[in-house]
Amino acid sequence: MENKDLPLELVLIGGSSGSFVIFEEILKLLDRPLSCAILFVLHRGKSSLFELPKLFRSKTQVRMEEPQHLDPIMKNCIYFAVPDYHLLVGPDERFYLDGTEKDFFSRPSLDATFISAAQSGIYIKAAMIFSGASEDGALGMKIIAERGFKTYVQNPTIAEVERMPAAAIRTHGKHHILTENVFEEIRSILYSYST
Amino acid sequence: MNMTMLEYEELEALIVKVREISGFDFSGYARPSLLRRASRFLNRHTMSLSDLMTHIEQGGKAVYDFIQELTVNYSEMFRDPDFFIKLRSEVFSYLESYPAVRIWVAGCASGEEAYSLAILLKETGMYNRALIYATDLSERVLASAREGVFGLGHMRTFSENYMLSGCKNSLSDYYHVAYSQAVMVPDLRKNIVFSLHDLTGDGVFNEFQMVSCRNVMIYFNLEQRQEVFRLLYESLAMFGFLCLGKRETLRYSGFEENFRIIDSHLNIYQKIR
Repeated sequence: MENKDLPLELVLIGGSSGSFVIFEEILKLLDRPLSCAILFVLHRGKSSLFELPKLFRSKTQVRMEEPQHLDPIMKNCIYFAVPDYHLLVGPDERFYLDGTEKDFFSRPSLDATFISAAQSGIYIKAAMIFSGASEDGALGMKIIAERGFKTYVQNPTIAEVERMPAAAIRTHGKHHILTENVFEEIRSILYSYST
Repeated sequence: MNMTMLEYEELEALIVKVREISGFDFSGYARPSLLRRASRFLNRHTMSLSDLMTHIEQGGKAVYDFIQELTVNYSEMFRDPDFFIKLRSEVFSYLESYPAVRIWVAGCASGEEAYSLAILLKETGMYNRALIYATDLSERVLASAREGVFGLGHMRTFSENYMLSGCKNSLSDYYHVAYSQAVMVPDLRKNIVFSLHDLTGDGVFNEFQMVSCRNVMIYFNLEQRQEVFRLLYESLAMFGFLCLGKRETLRYSGFEENFRIIDSHLNIYQKIR
């Protein structure tokens, strides 16, 4: 099923307060192997001890990891940005941890990951942003959209905290808005075949 | 919001220019992180890439400011308190039997880690037979480290970390406040030697029972990181301890077989061959 010769594709999913439950629901959709790698960036406190792959173990059979510096990015794998570092995507298809200052008081930040992915030259199948009380991610989403990749924003009116998706829409007016049947739509995006 | 965003080709040109003018070589540094840092530098100083290139070509201070901002390491005292708890129980308890202990803080920035270790050594009664070598590639951060002066704003976080580190006293026992800054007590600096050392260019300069090199390896690309691991390995005495950052392991180091894992979460290792 998995063709090793196909180039790597990324799906980027970000959120903050109110997004944890959405991430959980997205993971539950993943009942088959994926042709892409999925990167989740969730704002977390630096001393956050719980490991998301363990916490979400029962939600999906797809492999989940918290990447280390220089780990190669693998298809059919789900990655979670670790606390207290930015997670950057390198053009050599490896992860890079970064200790530079916080964006919007957050490390990991959505912008750091999203912008690095946009600049990496790796194909971005989709970038999505959900509920959150910060404006982090808006710039990254704009840059990804401007490079011709598909971007999706949760409709702020249905988000638990509207600030993050609202900022993304305000910064760039052409994102696709997820309003109805959100999870069905996400599922079809994640399992779609690109070009 | 008009952001300057560097692309990788531009970054490479910048690296070449910096090397020509200053001799400082970023070749071994992780590109994605450099790209982020360099873009942030330009935006903070509202500069374009060509402005920066011109400044650098003119020589003088500009190139050193740029190098400084791209290499500076933000740290905290007692960063990752659970690390210090483990250090006391697993590492210091072992080093206690040594008549003299040399510790290297590699990439010490403004000295937060060196002072934290000095305090821990004091509280375990080992300070007087210990020597801490704290090195960095920037003379500027070393000067600040030698002064032992930290913004009072930071002390709150540092104090919280200290309390969570299983230490006995209060962090304020180790500094006094002057002109709204915290100044570490001179006694703490007595056995710390701050000196210039570039992990990507300089070699082994002593033999250590412990090396703390936390959150420094993430600056480097795969090849450079392996070289730095070699340097740290060769700088350690047999059965000496290597302490890495919370998310840094020996993976891809080439030295996985040479160390025993003391703590796989806090990344404390012991050289065994």
